[in-house]
Amino acid sequence: MQLTRQQLDKLIAAVAKGDEAAFAELYQATSSKLFAVALRILRSREAAEEVLQESYFRVWEKAADFNPALASPLTWMAAIVRNRCIDEVRRKVPRGGDDESVLENIESGDEHPIVGLERQEDVQRLLRCMDGLEPEKKQIVRLAYLDGMSREDLAAKFGRPEGTIKTWLHRSLAQLKGCLEQ
Amino acid sequence: MTGLDDIDGLAAEYVLGTLNREERLAVESRIASDPTLKAAISAWERRLTPLADTLKPVVPPANLYNKIRAQIGLSAHVVSLKAREQQLVRRGNRWRNAAAGMTAMAASLAGLVGVREFQYQQMPTQFVAVLQAGDDKPAFLMTVDTKTHNCVITAVTAPKQPDKSYQVWMVHDKLPKPKSLGVMSEGDMNVMPMDDGPDTAMFMNATFAVSLEPEGGSPSDGPTGPVLFTGKLIKATP
Repeated sequence: MQLTRQQLDKLIAAVAKGDEAAFAELYQATSSKLFAVALRILRSREAAEEVLQESYFRVWEKAADFNPALASPLTWMAAIVRNRCIDEVRRKVPRGGDDESVLENIESGDEHPIVGLERQEDVQRLLRCMDGLEPEKKQIVRLAYLDGMSREDLAAKFGRPEGTIKTWLHRSLAQLKGCLEQ
Repeated sequence: MTGLDDIDGLAAEYVLGTLNREERLAVESRIASDPTLKAAISAWERRLTPLADTLKPVVPPANLYNKIRAQIGLSAHVVSLKAREQQLVRRGNRWRNAAAGMTAMAASLAGLVGVREFQYQQMPTQFVAVLQAGDDKPAFLMTVDTKTHNCVITAVTAPKQPDKSYQVWMVHDKLPKPKSLGVMSEGDMNVMPMDDGPDTAMFMNATFAVSLEPEGGSPSDGPTGPVLFTGKLIKATP
């Protein structure tokens, strides 16, 4: 049920006009991806459901502001979900309950990302560029993006000062940017 | 290897998610007025979002879509209520014009000169709203007293819902989101004191809604469950 970029663009344009059937289709096509993103960061089904609900409501309300020239629908929606999730984990000091069943559920697709599906080109390219990073730096980028770890979390996990983590992050990101622009 | 400039570095870390709360808030307050930062953030979102695609999808629970629909339904309901209200006003005007015509005719026939009009100048202080689903029997009665600043909700025919709570909301254009007036506790009558003192004009134009929430009330700052009953206030005293 993978929809193309053009199909998703059309759905969002219809949602902007208040088309509920298009909204249902958009939800069908995107919710399991976005739920995985929220679960991975929040580590609680309850919190992830709440964020997803708020995010889709925002998609409904803000669909008219979506600019296909700036981002793909999935990029736009993923940014809405991730921003809510990260705001949520930064607000609270203790991280969510580390629900084992939740982690088990989402970790499996992680280290072997290609499961039967042919990856889109942009995913392939980013993964190739990530492979160009030293293993530890690559792990840090993944832990930050996918798990929502802050510099502070990463500093504690890797036993390095925050300043070092910041330098590593900036170098890794610059390297990724350079690689993606090739 | 070259690094990133300040703005690009900030945008990259914002999107990656490694900034602390204060830094994130600072970025968010800058986005609207800083097109360079905004463009840099969009570019980093395009670069990094493919990572999200490496996660194995997890289907959310089936009832989540219903909750989202209910939330959308609440805002849509306000729109349709507005349309209905305008229709009632138009109908009311027609009746008023027709009545005025009849009165004038009656007056001329009877050879009377003046038609006396009554007007109440005194501000009413008590309002009542019937909260119901469609044209069903009223489920809740709500009275608002602008003198005592109390809102009293009485369950009339609302069924008891095990492990769930009814929560009462006020919806108004001037409010960014539905405002909770409180959660119905056990018992058929609840007094909900209104902290900021009722603004009569706002109350008269607001829609009141009751949603079904997890026991104890909505876990977030808006309704999460289905909206079951709605209604608007009318004057209860002249």
